[in-house]
Amino acid sequence: MKNILTIILRLTVSCLIAGLIMGMTFVFTNKAKKANEHAREEKVVFSLLGYSKANPIPDSMGLHEIFRYVVSDGEAQSIGYLLPSEGHGEAEAFNFVRIDLDGKYLDSSSVAITEKKVKDQKDRDAAVQIALGAGKEIRFVDQTIVVTEGDGRLAYLLGGKFPGFKTHIAIMLALDPSYSILGLEVMEHEEDPGLGAEIEQEYFKNQFKLKPFEKIKSIEVVKAPLPNEYFDALEGRVDESAAFDIMKQYSDQDIYALTGATISSAAVSSGVRAMTKKFAYRLDILDRVLNEQQIAVPF
Amino acid sequence: MANENSSFQLLANGILKENPIFKLALSMCPAVGISTTVINGLLLGTAVLFVQVFSSVTISALKNYIHPRIRIPTYTLTIATWVTVIDLSLAAFFPLAYAKMGIFVKIIVAFAIITMRLEMFACKEPISDSFWDGLGMGLGFLVGMVVIGFVRELLGSGAILGYDVLGFKPLLFFILPSAGFFVVGLMMAFFNWIEVAYAQRKKG
Repeated sequence: MKNILTIILRLTVSCLIAGLIMGMTFVFTNKAKKANEHAREEKVVFSLLGYSKANPIPDSMGLHEIFRYVVSDGEAQSIGYLLPSEGHGEAEAFNFVRIDLDGKYLDSSSVAITEKKVKDQKDRDAAVQIALGAGKEIRFVDQTIVVTEGDGRLAYLLGGKFPGFKTHIAIMLALDPSYSILGLEVMEHEEDPGLGAEIEQEYFKNQFKLKPFEKIKSIEVVKAPLPNEYFDALEGRVDESAAFDIMKQYSDQDIYALTGATISSAAVSSGVRAMTKKFAYRLDILDRVLNEQQIAVPF
Repeated sequence: MANENSSFQLLANGILKENPIFKLALSMCPAVGISTTVINGLLLGTAVLFVQVFSSVTISALKNYIHPRIRIPTYTLTIATWVTVIDLSLAAFFPLAYAKMGIFVKIIVAFAIITMRLEMFACKEPISDSFWDGLGMGLGFLVGMVVIGFVRELLGSGAILGYDVLGFKPLLFFILPSAGFFVVGLMMAFFNWIEVAYAQRKKG
């Protein structure tokens, strides 16, 4: 009996110490990790748009973030969009536009938050809550970046997460204004190395490139070997214009599944399909509402 | 294992006489699974080295407080703690390396070699000896991984450290996991051959 007690005591103490050490490491490293993730995200955004550090985004281009919230007011739910307003940089530079579940405009309120603070979820949630007043519950859902050049829209960048073969797969998708795919990047996944992890490879993720919205709506995977010329084009082994032609030629094709990883491939395809369809639906509603209500936005 | 071993002997012991891969044949799973390139072997070997040294020192320092009946859970807990620390630090400070081998770092918890060293050595010997033993074993593993990685990368993809040296791919087979066993087997034979040859020379 005495043995049991000492064993329990010792194990508990060692677990506590171990927990303490791990917790301390987490606190020390978390900031650096966040910074890394942020830097990676930024790099991915640039590369999806076809820019890099050596070839920076021109000043005429603007990146505008839209934050989507679900607002619960008692039983009733609505969707809220936090949008930058025309006068950038001032104190009340953001609008919170509420739309009900049928796509009808509800109300709009200005949110007092600076552009720097809006990137931090805690600050942003607090500011939105103040603007809406107490009694309404808000939940942040996702964010989208609208890329503009001059007056026209150039692209949309959206992040998304969906279940893969093992855990979640997080991706970043670039769409052009007609919702065709400009590029896809896998941000996070835990698929099996050598099998499902191949979704990171150029020859898989570039298959989505240049697929028109009409095709994306019904995209599936096929279990067939990837044609050689297509593989070379996807891996960037031929020059750019030739690769473009080949990829255009295959743009009405389904996605060629990875050997031994059909489930991961299908997960990415259906994830992309769902993300694109939902995004197109939501953005169409938002654009209609913004037009009807004459709410000025920079995009 | 005698107490009067010098630190250098302890160190050399881990690398040569009791090399974890070629002599003890422990932790073969990661050895054949990850050692496809020199860099992979080097990264995982380094992570194992740190975990082994930290765990050995911790267990050696606490050996008088560990109840004999729960020593294995305590070892596992210790190893898991250090692996988590290494895992988080790698993710924070070496994101590029971590992206490549992140999932392999987590399985260091289950490496037989580390538990075995704690059970055989660290729980009986003083801290400084345990440190040298841990360092030796870790280095032994590191060297083993790098050597296997070297052979497999050279023969499998015709490159060293990612640089194409041969210009062609001699045998794709060497990249596959089963070839890991093949290389380990050849290495074992080589090490044994050296040992036997050395012993005979000494005799004659």
